[in-house]
Amino acid sequence: MLDPDQGLRVLDCKAIDHEYLHKDFHGALCYGIKYLDDHFGPEATTAYLRQVGRSYFAPLSQQLRGDGLAALEKHWREIFTKEGGNFSLEIQDGVLTLTVHECPAIDHLKKINQLFTPRFCETTVVVNETVCGEAGYKSSCHYEPGQGRCVQKFWKERE
Amino acid sequence: MISCTEFIPAYSELFKFLEAQGGKEAVVKFWESLSDKFLTNLHDLTATKGLAGCFEYWSHSLTEEAADFRMTLDEKKGTFEIEMRHCPSRGRLNELKHIEPYEHYCEHCDVLYRRVLEPFGFKYNIDLSTCKDATCKLTVEKESSS
Repeated sequence: MLDPDQGLRVLDCKAIDHEYLHKDFHGALCYGIKYLDDHFGPEATTAYLRQVGRSYFAPLSQQLRGDGLAALEKHWREIFTKEGGNFSLEIQDGVLTLTVHECPAIDHLKKINQLFTPRFCETTVVVNETVCGEAGYKSSCHYEPGQGRCVQKFWKERE
Repeated sequence: MISCTEFIPAYSELFKFLEAQGGKEAVVKFWESLSDKFLTNLHDLTATKGLAGCFEYWSHSLTEEAADFRMTLDEKKGTFEIEMRHCPSRGRLNELKHIEPYEHYCEHCDVLYRRVLEPFGFKYNIDLSTCKDATCKLTVEKESSS
């Protein structure tokens, strides 16, 4: 409802009217990483990200433990598809490889000029390590800071 | 990548982590810093358009967050209001069964926005009395209208 002549504007929305996708949140997380680094040191940033991995992502670790790499493949496919990333996924010889050609988070951070720190991608490195570690898996992530490209690998830890 | 759809629980965990480091004071200091450095879009819109800038800012963020709300701008009265019928952030935290929301989670909306809007001469109020049920009411008024 809009009546600009009267200086009155109303916007009334239901939750089902829109899709939940607010990419500006990447900026708040990026600033959080910079803030922790600056005020508490990189070790604290790592400890925080491990906390996120162990707490919020505990169900993903459970799925990985139960269903194997297919659980992670499903997770990444859903996330990167929803955010409109350019990526590929492959499982070969017991290794899941996620190749991110254009990271939607980095892309958005650059667009809104909020890539506060080149260490933003440590969120991926540490959360992946933690989620995998909790499930008996290992991970690696190779990236160049701020480039929006990376190669992430996941495999089962040898018993 | 932590998806933007997974940000809110990570944000809540950040508040818990900061409180463990330095008490609630450390959390509030972070909110103040975040307000100064991250909310530049709300600042700039308010600087150029006044309360209409608030309307524009929250039109964008609340629709992208799929909130259930009614937002009213009355430029003659000099008021801007958001009646949040279901906050998507608090609502998501409430739905999660395996982690608890940060105890003072909703207070970030008080600190972050007050810090941007009051220097422009607006009176800012947010009623968080029912925020744990994912509802709240935010009001911004021109000081002269009260």
